[in-house]
Amino acid sequence: MGQPPLSQRIQRLERELGIRLFERSSRHVTITHGGTLLLAEAREILTRSEALLATARRIRDGESGLLRAALPPDVSGETIAALLADFADRQAGTELELHELTTAQQLDRFGAGALDVGLVHHPCDVSGLEIGPLLRRELGVLLRHDHPAAQLTDVPLAALTGHDLVLFPRADAPALHDELLTTCARNGYTPTAVRHGQSPSFIRGLILSSQAVAFSPRDTQPAPPHPQIIWRHLAGTPLAWRHSVAWRQGHRDAAVDAFAEAVTQALWGTDTVSMDQPLPPLHLRPTAEYWL
Amino acid sequence: MTRTQDHIRTAFADAAVTGWLHACDIDTGAEVGLHPDHPVVTASVHKLCLLVALHQRAEQGDFDLTEQIEVPPTGRTFGLTGLGAMLDPARVSLRDAAYLMMSVSDNIAADLLLERVGLDAVNRTTTQLGLAHTLAVHTFRQLLDTIKKDAGPSGTRALSDPHTITRLTALDPARTNRSTPRDMTRLLSCIWRDEAGTPDHGAAIRRLLGLQVWPHRLASGFPFDDVHVAGKTGSLPTLRNEVGVVEYPDGGRYAVAVFTRAANTAATLPAADAVIGTAARIAVDALRAPRTRRRSGT
Repeated sequence: MGQPPLSQRIQRLERELGIRLFERSSRHVTITHGGTLLLAEAREILTRSEALLATARRIRDGESGLLRAALPPDVSGETIAALLADFADRQAGTELELHELTTAQQLDRFGAGALDVGLVHHPCDVSGLEIGPLLRRELGVLLRHDHPAAQLTDVPLAALTGHDLVLFPRADAPALHDELLTTCARNGYTPTAVRHGQSPSFIRGLILSSQAVAFSPRDTQPAPPHPQIIWRHLAGTPLAWRHSVAWRQGHRDAAVDAFAEAVTQALWGTDTVSMDQPLPPLHLRPTAEYWL
Repeated sequence: MTRTQDHIRTAFADAAVTGWLHACDIDTGAEVGLHPDHPVVTASVHKLCLLVALHQRAEQGDFDLTEQIEVPPTGRTFGLTGLGAMLDPARVSLRDAAYLMMSVSDNIAADLLLERVGLDAVNRTTTQLGLAHTLAVHTFRQLLDTIKKDAGPSGTRALSDPHTITRLTALDPARTNRSTPRDMTRLLSCIWRDEAGTPDHGAAIRRLLGLQVWPHRLASGFPFDDVHVAGKTGSLPTLRNEVGVVEYPDGGRYAVAVFTRAANTAATLPAADAVIGTAARIAVDALRAPRTRRRSGT
């Protein structure tokens, strides 16, 4: 927009609102106090109008009333039930097409424009996405009942030294796999060996027979608990699954918002979830090539 | 997808990065690529374009590369290397500033040179060499300023938050200095074939690319004392790049451009650095296969 039309638009807006938005001198333009007070609300209106346009686009594209959504396989059945009920309340006119997809599968579908919203595990490549708040599902440790650390209420990671770790296969989520091992190392636990396995029976077998340990959220523990396997908090809660709802950049609309809200509420309601922890210090090394 | 492409893709996935690569034999034009025309953020890789433009303007007689520039200590707030990390007034020649820019990615030296060369001249150079998808839209200071602004009041530590990463305009090829892997191997091929300037200038540019000190990316894939690796890295939060040339004693020389984006927001990710070398090596081995087969007589 050229300078004169912009000035005219601002003057018209000031007349309409009945307040001055900018102080103008011959050289400078500065925003007024009144203008600053209106700014946050104006931005919000712009975001809302973008959401309206996104919804309109979906209707135009013939996808009216359908939300293609995904959840990772590790969300509990109770959480899914709660979220489906809540979503139906919030967005009665929208049909929810819900898929069980890993984070990698969700990213592929986002890239192809075949998914509207999903719950992803971090770390993941967020290019082209926007994300909701990070939710943290604390991980505790599974130990054989006679492990010395089973006597503690909060187990320091370093107390696991000397024991093998059973972890999901690295190829399933290499970034998360490496991040967990780095956090273990940072907190004084470098497993003697990492043994890859996924199924509850395999993990139980290794814990019982070879005194290996495994990490797990509390909410996935069987009730009643296994008589010989104990779940314990980790001291300082260093490990967690980090989730957030994600959607394609610029494609947020009422249905996406409703799904994001329903997922967040359901996870809060049925799982041991907390908001993300404060960010730790970050020391950039010279090879980083950037600096703030 | 060929076997080589599949190997490269697997290597990237294994290192938890998304990667784009182009590699070519400088003399035969044989090539290997994985999404080689995908737009990528260049970051400090663009210092290579600036270096070529600097030499072209010197060749045209616009300035002498031995000319001294005064560098006052004020305003050196953005660097962990070179002039950006020095405390006292300094005086360097244009070509020594170029050495600091290429060997340790010195941002202060780069912007001093960019002030002399001009952003337009950098873009004229890349356009004239046929790099149709390469464009510089801001100086290195301006680039870092966009990150500072997008990161907000928490500063550096906000860079490990995935929300910050989704907000950084510096990570969007449409809104920052950009290129493609194929454009970058074309530039390197021009430099190695003396098509970007006189042989003297070409030799000076190649020398500087060979003086880069970082061992962790492209060079890590070629742990061979008789193989020469010359390159320039580029990095931003979650981005790790390097473009360079690998030369074998049998005369084989290969231009490689690797651009990556990591899933993890951590600043220290040795595996993400190393996969640049791993992927480059897979590509170069594939390009060298006809040659090595011939030599072993099979």
